[in-house]
Amino acid sequence: MSASSSPAPAPATVLESLSNDLSAAVRAASASMVAIHARRRIPSSGIIWRPGIVVTTHHTIQREDNITVTLADGTTVGATLAGRDPTTDLAVLRLNSEVGVPIARAPLGAQVGQLVLALGMPGPSVTAALGVVSATGGEWRTWHGGRIDQFIRLDVAIYDGFSGGATVDAGGRLLGINSSGLARASAMTIPLATVERVAEQLLASGRVRRGYIGLGVQPVRLPAGVVTQHALSQPVGLMVVSIEEGAPAHAAGVSLGDVVVTCEGTPLADPSELLASLTGERIGTPLALRVLRAGALVEVAVTVGERPRRGEGASAHDAGRNG
Amino acid sequence: MNHDNHGGAALAAGLELDGLASLVRSFTVRIETRGGSSMGSGVVWQSDGLIVTNAHVVHDERPLVSLGDAGTLDARVVALDRHRDLALLSVDADGLRAAPIGDAESLRAGSLVLALGHPHGVANAMSLGVVHAVTTRRGMPRYIVADLRLAPGNSGGPLVDSTGRVVGINAMIVGGLGVAIPSTVERRFLHEVSRSGATSFASPLAA
Repeated sequence: MSASSSPAPAPATVLESLSNDLSAAVRAASASMVAIHARRRIPSSGIIWRPGIVVTTHHTIQREDNITVTLADGTTVGATLAGRDPTTDLAVLRLNSEVGVPIARAPLGAQVGQLVLALGMPGPSVTAALGVVSATGGEWRTWHGGRIDQFIRLDVAIYDGFSGGATVDAGGRLLGINSSGLARASAMTIPLATVERVAEQLLASGRVRRGYIGLGVQPVRLPAGVVTQHALSQPVGLMVVSIEEGAPAHAAGVSLGDVVVTCEGTPLADPSELLASLTGERIGTPLALRVLRAGALVEVAVTVGERPRRGEGASAHDAGRNG
Repeated sequence: MNHDNHGGAALAAGLELDGLASLVRSFTVRIETRGGSSMGSGVVWQSDGLIVTNAHVVHDERPLVSLGDAGTLDARVVALDRHRDLALLSVDADGLRAAPIGDAESLRAGSLVLALGHPHGVANAMSLGVVHAVTTRRGMPRYIVADLRLAPGNSGGPLVDSTGRVVGINAMIVGGLGVAIPSTVERRFLHEVSRSGATSFASPLAA
């Protein structure tokens, strides 16, 4: 009894070449994948960003000491955490030597319907899952207030090692970093532009600097008379419901009950609009707020400070709703 | 709108998948326990009626094998290996379409794979996916782990590569991943059975 030797079927040329292309894409990107030993049980995935530098997800790094990284060639090197940013779910590791093959970057952004591979390395070898880009959109903010340059959701199964691994195109080139920690365990990709920006900040200072003025605000509807009287462009504003003691807004004389109607001349209707203006680059510069106070419109200049570091446990409320 | 120049490769891939499904259907059988309580799939390994499936879908000495158009036949359990979860059945038939057997060692993470079977009793359902990883033992493929949707009833059925060759027998679902026993293991099993005599794994149901 031996295995049958029936003739091979006619070559399915498109499927065969697709299969070959996909496995070649995995092979090409595999050289830049790493397994990170910074949690219990199974290792998590990471990507060689440049020699000696690994990018990964924040939520998969559960231990900051005694981190080791296994490269694609099987060698294991020590690593230190260069920094982490819970708001964008990114972390950067510095390897103890300048090793590793940097991953090739995709020339174009993700397109809906595009075939993608989600690669991981939750052990000694690279794993793959096939899917498509299911939705894309513009810049968005995570529930921890982090700025993500493009919304990219994948239709791909999430297995061990997904987060921190690579979303690659059919050529094996990086579109972004896989994360299941950004939006209710759905498969998301943190785009290259965000990785680039955050990784550089983490490498330079160990953290992502964010502006801060120390206000808690809530949208309110304004009486028609007030809108007409001050020729406001919209009938809403942001009422100040909390002020942190000693924070920049406190120092500038902002009071509870003030209603912020514009920031740098732009009308405000949602707290996220105020938050969006508090970028790291604004730190130390004055922010012009127009405020309704006791029926009068007043100008307040608040010098933007740096957001104090909070633990990883910073709640969505703390990070996301307060300016 | 003129679609003539759009989606050529994708449309061709779709047609080829249709062709592959027909091919794989021609050598995939359904395996039932008398009384119909349990169901699985199997692969026609030789045209003389030799069928490979999982040991865990074989519950009695005379399982029923449904060959599609060729009807349903009583099968004899030739060999059963609970450890490797493989079984060899024989039906009294000739001129069956035997599956082309592929090389599991040629698979890489990312290679396209298809499964055909009878998940939850749905006849001849196809699923498409890619190889997630191939685990090895002593340099030989141990399991093919696939990013592919399987369900009970796929057990014993074929995992095929992009050319329609059988590269494994679907055996388990672990953490949502399909796990198949590579064709290299089936080949070795058949070789051992043929060398030692068909009944050396005998008293299979006592195992």
